[in-house]
Amino acid sequence: MKKKVAELENSGRRKLASGPLSRGDKWFFRSTSIAAYFSFFLVALILAFLFNQALPVLQSQGMGFILGSEWLPEKEPMVLQLAPMLWGSLVIAFIGVTIATPMSISLAYLIQFMLPKRLAKIATTLVDLLAALPSVILGLWGLIVFTPVAAGWGEILNRYLGFIPIFAVEDTENAFRSSPWIAGWIVAVMIVPIITSVSREIFSQIDRDLINGALALGGSKLSTFRRVILPTASSGVIGGVLLGLGRALGETVAIFYVLNLTMKINWYKLLESEGGAVASWILARFGEASPAEKQGLMAAGLVLFVITLLVNFLANVIVNRAQPWRKNA
Amino acid sequence: MTNDLNIQPWRRTSLFRKLQVLLAIVVPLPLVMLIALLAGLDLTMSFITIFVPVQLLAAGAVGYFSYGRRGVGDAALIVITTFLSMFVLILLFSVLWSVVSEGFKALSPQFIYQNNKYVEPTTSLEYGGVGHAILGTLLLVLLTTIVAVPLGFAMAIYLTQSQSKARNMVRTFTQAISGLPSVVSGLFILAIIEATGIGRSGITGAMALFPLMLPTVARVAEESLKLVPVDLRYAALALGSPNYRAFFRVILPAAKTGLLTAVLLGLARIVGETAPLILTLNPNSSTNLNPFDGGLMALPTYVYNYLASYYDTSQARAWGASLVLLVLVAILFGSARIIGRQKSSKSKGKK
Repeated sequence: MKKKVAELENSGRRKLASGPLSRGDKWFFRSTSIAAYFSFFLVALILAFLFNQALPVLQSQGMGFILGSEWLPEKEPMVLQLAPMLWGSLVIAFIGVTIATPMSISLAYLIQFMLPKRLAKIATTLVDLLAALPSVILGLWGLIVFTPVAAGWGEILNRYLGFIPIFAVEDTENAFRSSPWIAGWIVAVMIVPIITSVSREIFSQIDRDLINGALALGGSKLSTFRRVILPTASSGVIGGVLLGLGRALGETVAIFYVLNLTMKINWYKLLESEGGAVASWILARFGEASPAEKQGLMAAGLVLFVITLLVNFLANVIVNRAQPWRKNA
Repeated sequence: MTNDLNIQPWRRTSLFRKLQVLLAIVVPLPLVMLIALLAGLDLTMSFITIFVPVQLLAAGAVGYFSYGRRGVGDAALIVITTFLSMFVLILLFSVLWSVVSEGFKALSPQFIYQNNKYVEPTTSLEYGGVGHAILGTLLLVLLTTIVAVPLGFAMAIYLTQSQSKARNMVRTFTQAISGLPSVVSGLFILAIIEATGIGRSGITGAMALFPLMLPTVARVAEESLKLVPVDLRYAALALGSPNYRAFFRVILPAAKTGLLTAVLLGLARIVGETAPLILTLNPNSSTNLNPFDGGLMALPTYVYNYLASYYDTSQARAWGASLVLLVLVAILFGSARIIGRQKSSKSKGKK
């Protein structure tokens, strides 16, 4: 390359050269691309180390690790199975998303289309602040302040809608507190900012002419929202919801405080005081775990990572496709 | 009622209509509270079960009088979105208020600077504090920042300055890391500890925070570098400057505040992380500033440890530490906002 450049310079002709010419530029691009490739490296490294540690457990437990529901680290041979926690994580994430999605879309709509600019800015700041709240603080609040309130809501749901299986409880004395219902609410509070900011971004990029056109044709606000805004923004909003889902699956400390973790699959009874969450289970068992059980927890982490990785990949593909202007500009 | 507002939407709304709207906004709340008080109902519940329908009815009626049938749907849309949004804000303020009010009970000067060396769960609040945890958090955050910020910036530079085809892949992987559950990040470092036999110390804690900070810094930095007009760069290149000089002399000064925001948001992301630190740090109740050896306490793990015991004083300590942590987050977050705002107003002025 260098030779070529010298040749070109000597010949007096100028030619467009692609790629960096000077030594400084070469170093500049080389070092930044090393940093960029570090992101592949990091993902591979995480997977490799977790897999390395988890392998013995995965081998000895087989598919039972994700399908069975017993966790007996003292037994010979050891039985480590994760199904109740996996299912519990899914249930909680699902409750969280169900609660958070309407709230987030409302907030995004309010900020983008209803509030005057100054108020909209304040509302955006508040939502971002909610995103910045450490999860341990939300856990503390959830345990001491929110649990009694949400347990009360749960009781009322049970009293009036108890005939629906998901709101049924066996024993009203020992239910409601530490239930997936409350954990779902805490998770919802955490993922509202994520879904809101993605939805707002998508809403703000909708062509104003489209909305004005719908209004000019005699559409009401409601019909514009339902027939124009939502369909146009739907894929982006779904991507945002999936991002929230990924976050909800990985939530650890806050759920650890507000949920009673039990190694028994709670299929659908949201108000019973038993549930599970993989991440919180890792935290709960870690303190007194033997080295072998720790490997089981690594395997649990690996499963969790793979699931969130898939959810996030899917979410990002959808969000990026919904925002073509974000591609390499 | 005629629906002349539908036919001529530019017509001035009459005073009567404005009054109707005002009534529909103002009346339902006190009315419902009165009913709830008289009937002795639970306030939060009656809010959802009575207030929302009443408010819907009132707004729907006004909408119907003004706009006919379509007014009802619009009113419902406005009431429901406002209600749900208010609900989120109420939850947020509930969190903030409980942390501030409960935290203040534990707060005192010595709570800020003393450590917890001889403190038992039942020791009165006059002794001991979070001094060691504040220092620990600052130390951890500093260590993480030293590595994560240059790397994140370099990623952002690669994503904005190079023409490489791999950029989309890099971006996808960075986004994938940003979805990494924090507890898995802790487990990852734990796996390294188990595999290599290095001891748990401040360094391992910082290592566990690193994968969480990196994607935030990279993403925000990329956004702020993108905001610099590409013409500036082309002009510099056309004047014969090499790429790296164009970056350091032209783009970097223009994007300075944005990059600072990236650092601050990255800090705000990790300062409250708990799970990775529980897995990778040994707790310590005295002050330790050596990141290579010994236990280290951070504010989030302090909250976690004290919440685990159910004594009142321990819980008070947890609230106090939460307040300190919240203030720390608020400072980082607020300064990121202020810097960000300065930048946007400046760029507006230029245009």
